[in-house]
Amino acid sequence: MSGGMQPAADPILSVRGLFKHFGGIKAANGVELAVGRHEIAGLIGPNGCGKSTLFSLVSGAVMPDKGEICFDGRAVGGMSAHRIARLGLARTFQIPALFDNMTVTENLLAAAAEGHWRGASERAAETLSLLKLEHVADNRASDLSGGQQKLLEFGRAVVRQASLILLDEVTAGVHPNIRKIILEAIARLREQGVSFLVIEHDMEMVRNVCDRIIVMDSGRVVTSGAFEDIVRNSEVMQTYLGHPQ
Amino acid sequence: MALLPANPQWRSLVLLAIIIVVLGVLPWTVNNYWLRIATGALMWAGLACSWNMLGGYAGYINFGQSAFFGLGAYVTAFLMSDPFGLAFPVTIPAGMVVTALCAVIIGAPTLRLRGAYFAIATWAFAEVLIQFSSAMDFTGGIGGIGLPPYLNERFFYFAMFGAAALTYLLTWALFERSRFGLKVKALRDHEPAAEAMGINTALVKLQTFVLSAVTASVFGAIFAYWVTFINPKSVFGGDITDQMVVMVLLGGLGTLWGPAIGGVALFGVNRLIWMYWGDTAFYIAILGTAIVLVVLFLPNGIAGLFERRKQNALDKVLDKLVGSGEGGHP
Ligand SMILES: Nc1ncnc2c1ncn2[C@@H]1O[C@H](COP(=O)(O)OP(=O)(O)OP(=O)(O)O)[C@@H](O)[C@H]1O
Ligand SMILES: [Mg+2]
Repeated sequence: MSGGMQPAADPILSVRGLFKHFGGIKAANGVELAVGRHEIAGLIGPNGCGKSTLFSLVSGAVMPDKGEICFDGRAVGGMSAHRIARLGLARTFQIPALFDNMTVTENLLAAAAEGHWRGASERAAETLSLLKLEHVADNRASDLSGGQQKLLEFGRAVVRQASLILLDEVTAGVHPNIRKIILEAIARLREQGVSFLVIEHDMEMVRNVCDRIIVMDSGRVVTSGAFEDIVRNSEVMQTYLGHPQ
Repeated sequence: MALLPANPQWRSLVLLAIIIVVLGVLPWTVNNYWLRIATGALMWAGLACSWNMLGGYAGYINFGQSAFFGLGAYVTAFLMSDPFGLAFPVTIPAGMVVTALCAVIIGAPTLRLRGAYFAIATWAFAEVLIQFSSAMDFTGGIGGIGLPPYLNERFFYFAMFGAAALTYLLTWALFERSRFGLKVKALRDHEPAAEAMGINTALVKLQTFVLSAVTASVFGAIFAYWVTFINPKSVFGGDITDQMVVMVLLGGLGTLWGPAIGGVALFGVNRLIWMYWGDTAFYIAILGTAIVLVVLFLPNGIAGLFERRKQNALDKVLDKLVGSGEGGHP
């Protein structure tokens, strides 16, 4: 397999020998990966290969069977989700997990409620304008359209001023306009020093946004590298992405 | 309502001022019979609000809230009677401390689990207290405890009024206007997401539960002194919790004024039935019917009829209870 380029020596996230089995399903089966500081890493792989599970493990929502997770220089394996979040990790959920009975603004404020509360309402307002959600600011989250819900799911990660954001298919099934808003926001946050690990099925998006691609299959990372290197390796494309060049 | 200002905020303020003035002069305008009914209505409005803190705002059903009402009542009765003979005001904080300790012991292990475990644990706790207080000598057994009578209806009216006003003020400040309230509502709507935002959901739930329990204990303390005699069934009885639940569901789960509306309405019906038929089981049937009607036709309660922005807290509560939805645990 192509080794590809590796993240810098001091990654913001590193995962070693991570295992999680659900009964007979090996959702994580020895995952090894790292995300560099200020990097946008793409995570790709077939349905059910364990991408979302990896997010749940890293963010503390699901406890690993074994393995090491190091975030920003700290071992966070086995830590509760809220403690990891307070260290500066944000994640989105593949199926939007909004606070349904709260307004869009309240969703953002709740996301900012732990940590830097001072200035939270300004940041909520900035996030609303960054994501062009001002006109629905006072709408109940469950009354939003599917695309707007995805935007808000993304917004709640943005408003928290995290240093690493895990995005689980945030642009899947959204209108190109909303996709554009999200991509611009990602670019802007990266300029501010935020790192990203992005699960994505859309190869166009992966090519445009990600510095490096990590390919998963059956609960493990099979290769990683620059988009072109991965694409050139037609075996990888065929086996793991299902469309040879 | 042409007499009221159009701006909704001003309208609420004017309405609130009218209610406070009316409640303030009431003791000088009605006789003791009606004053007692008003005192009871204030107590139930306050108790319903205490239940709503956890049930409505956090989505965790407490089927044993009477335990905390009863603890407040028993601590006050115990400390005011021989051999202690303490003054009423000092017994209230004592009851609050005992209640807070019990709430932590019950809540810490069970609030981490699915809502049904918590519901069963709280229900069982109230049942245990009935048995315990019936069996023990120092609680007076089945016979209960009598307190030194203080026959001043106005005092008890204002005690309940003050406690209820504080309860609603606290609820408004804490659950409607603060960062804490955002965290509570966030965990009601989606617990794993709230955790992912850094919210310590177990702690916030426990804090809310303790607050809810301690509030109920204050009403229990005033109640005991007011009625001058309590026994296990009269303060720990399951029907006390049932009424709070129905009042909140009827008025509006997770709303500020719903419990007040439901509390006054249901207590009014209770007194009417009592006036015409005396102590009958008829009231229980009405409670049951009210639950069914609310769940079927009025999931947002009476308060929901006036809300611009519809919420559906009931969905989230049921999710937590049976663990069917995302509101449950990871
Ligand atoms: N809580 C769970 N309990 C049991 N099995 C689970 C659980 N979570 C995930 N799985 C299983 O683990 C495997 C990996 O799931 P995961 O959601 O991580 O895949 P994915 O790579 O994100 O897929 P997709 O691209 O479809 O989102 C699947 O077979 C899934 O059914
Ligand atoms: Mg997934």
